[in-house]
Amino acid sequence: MTTTSVAQVESGRALRAPARGRRLRRRATLIGWSFILPNFLGFALFTLIPVIAALGLSFMSWDAYNPPKWIGLANFTRLAHDPLFWAALQNTVLYAVGHVPLTLALSLGLALLLNRKLKGIQFFRVAIFFPYISSLVAIAIVWNLLFDPSTGPINALLTHLGVANPPGWTSSTTWALPAVIITSVWKDMGYYMILFLAGLQAVPGELYEAAAVDGANAWHKFWNVTVPGLRPTTFFVLVILTVSSFKVFDLIFVMTEGGPGRATLVLSQLIYQDGILNGQFGYSSAISLVLFVMVLVITLFQYRLQNRRQD
Amino acid sequence: MKRPMRMLAVAGITAAALALAGCAGSPNSDAKSTDSGSGGDAKTTLSVSVWDYAATPEFKALFDAFHAANPNITIQPVDVPNAADYEAKVTTMLAGGDSTDIITVKNLTDYSGYASKQQLLNLNSVEKQVPADKLAGLDSYKYKGTYYALPYRTDFSVLFYNKTMFQQAGLDAPDNLTWDEFASDAAKLTSGSGANKVYGAYVHTWNSLVQGIAAVQNDKDLNDPSDYSYLADQYNMMLKLQKAGDIPNYGEATSQKLAYQTEFETGKAAMVPMGTWLIAPLLADKAKGVSVPDWGIAQLPQIKSGGKIVTDGGPTGFGINKNSKNQAAAKKFIEFAASEKGAEAVASIGIVPSYQSSAITTKYFGLTGMPQDDLSKKAFAPDSVKPDQPVSPNTAAIGTVLNQEHQLIMTGGKSVDDGLKEMESLVKSQALSQ
Repeated sequence: MTTTSVAQVESGRALRAPARGRRLRRRATLIGWSFILPNFLGFALFTLIPVIAALGLSFMSWDAYNPPKWIGLANFTRLAHDPLFWAALQNTVLYAVGHVPLTLALSLGLALLLNRKLKGIQFFRVAIFFPYISSLVAIAIVWNLLFDPSTGPINALLTHLGVANPPGWTSSTTWALPAVIITSVWKDMGYYMILFLAGLQAVPGELYEAAAVDGANAWHKFWNVTVPGLRPTTFFVLVILTVSSFKVFDLIFVMTEGGPGRATLVLSQLIYQDGILNGQFGYSSAISLVLFVMVLVITLFQYRLQNRRQD
Repeated sequence: MKRPMRMLAVAGITAAALALAGCAGSPNSDAKSTDSGSGGDAKTTLSVSVWDYAATPEFKALFDAFHAANPNITIQPVDVPNAADYEAKVTTMLAGGDSTDIITVKNLTDYSGYASKQQLLNLNSVEKQVPADKLAGLDSYKYKGTYYALPYRTDFSVLFYNKTMFQQAGLDAPDNLTWDEFASDAAKLTSGSGANKVYGAYVHTWNSLVQGIAAVQNDKDLNDPSDYSYLADQYNMMLKLQKAGDIPNYGEATSQKLAYQTEFETGKAAMVPMGTWLIAPLLADKAKGVSVPDWGIAQLPQIKSGGKIVTDGGPTGFGINKNSKNQAAAKKFIEFAASEKGAEAVASIGIVPSYQSSAITTKYFGLTGMPQDDLSKKAFAPDSVKPDQPVSPNTAAIGTVLNQEHQLIMTGGKSVDDGLKEMESLVKSQALSQ
């Protein structure tokens, strides 16, 4: 947009002094491009070109060595009949359904709790943000030990509280997905808490005073001032959180490698498995394309919803 | 608007040109190839892909021995420091047109990938030069009638056991056990509880230790999904041992990431069915002064008593990259690695060579720290070594499904019968989809 308006301004001048104007215009454009060129080059090389290549590859059969073969929609018809794909899709959706609302609620709750002027409050903010910057592999291994069905402290606590048959967590097909969701919520909530804290600073204090004058209690204030005031932040958090939930890979891969069986197999891991491990890059590109379209549709839907609310 | 569009096009072309330039540069363009591979008088440098060169001494032993026999050929290792990344790294190298001369073939799953993609040179002519009848595991490399790699090392499953614990329990050495006898010994060797718990056996979490062994001992091919019911007996035995607490629970083994070497070395388990690759680290630890129990090896337990000793195992070998510029010298190296000289080099550091002879066995058991009993020597020469999952174009994809069902059955997520039925239908769908 900036380039266009610069060009329009420049073309206005160009009527008076054609040669000089053209030179100036070119200069401005070049300077503009030179600013974004380093970033754009990196983006093009490592993101844009691979993404476009993946789009093409999803209609081909390719083993990463021999020339790709055009096979039309065969990858997609295979996808429709692949039980592993459906299992991974189901797990990915279940993961998102568990991870998004839990993280949203907890990070908002923590932000409200820590959004006050108290001595030493910084310590708690840092403590909660800490998991986000810790090594993911370390987190996965420590939580694996915590979740250990027989010697882990979580089940020891549950037994102490009177639970007769505590779950098998990562060694059980029913509890493995909840276990990775709990771990990822714990890891992510600090980051989103910081975003909500920033959002809370932007809610004008006068609104709370006005509400107090009108006799609003804490709940009314939260519902009628805080929530609307946080709407842009909530929207941003929701979009980022949803996208990252659908793309989840690393934490699950280190914790359970998709197991036991297929209990925590998600789409990203299936893409890795079919592409890198089984050498079927066409088929794994087709899965990536499906994942991309899914995330795109959900994000567009969220934008729609947000726009309607603002109207 | 026109101008930005043109600039975009220019930027796009620049990016594409850069990408192409990146592909064209070969990382090994500096490998000296003054001689195009005749291995004659001129000096040649052969590059060989290896994993974790510092911690895998067999490579250096083999390279040094080869260089001593062929002073004109120098070997340049191309190291992938993390062994787990080796296959992905080699895939990327080959896809990028890399010209590393020799590709070390880490396992048969990787091999089936190289062979089906036609990335390696046909080695049938070299196969005629090597002592084929003495090379264990050579047959595993036959892919549609062609050899694309030849072995230098062949590992197979044996039963590692703790001699002291057997004596304390008043049991005979586990000479030629059946699986039923293995289970009853395991029960007798189990003792203690909590932190002092000692298990009769430790069966690692790999699916090959149940499925692979059951397949080779029943003379079946795991790639064939028509009927997996022959796996049921082995699964039922393992689940029974697990329920009785005679082997560690599968879920605990995965969540605590138990290591088979540690379980055996620290005396947590009396018997460990495992590949012969465990011998070298046991010897190395003993030499370093780590406390290692008095151990021996016995034949892998069999389904029936009195028959031949059938065990699962597979070769590690070398293949030649189709892009290699030094093919003649590379063939020379592969021939050497499979020969008695090559076998001596790897056996001298505790690695089991593919080349088998009584001289090599004597040399192997002459290593410091090796058990000297007759049973261990007997276990070192099984009657038949077969791959637990033979080479086929679908090996990797089928392997993934086999492993998933293994986890489901071992963690109780599926009953044995349901798991095997699901295995049949899923392997069918994976095999069809190629």
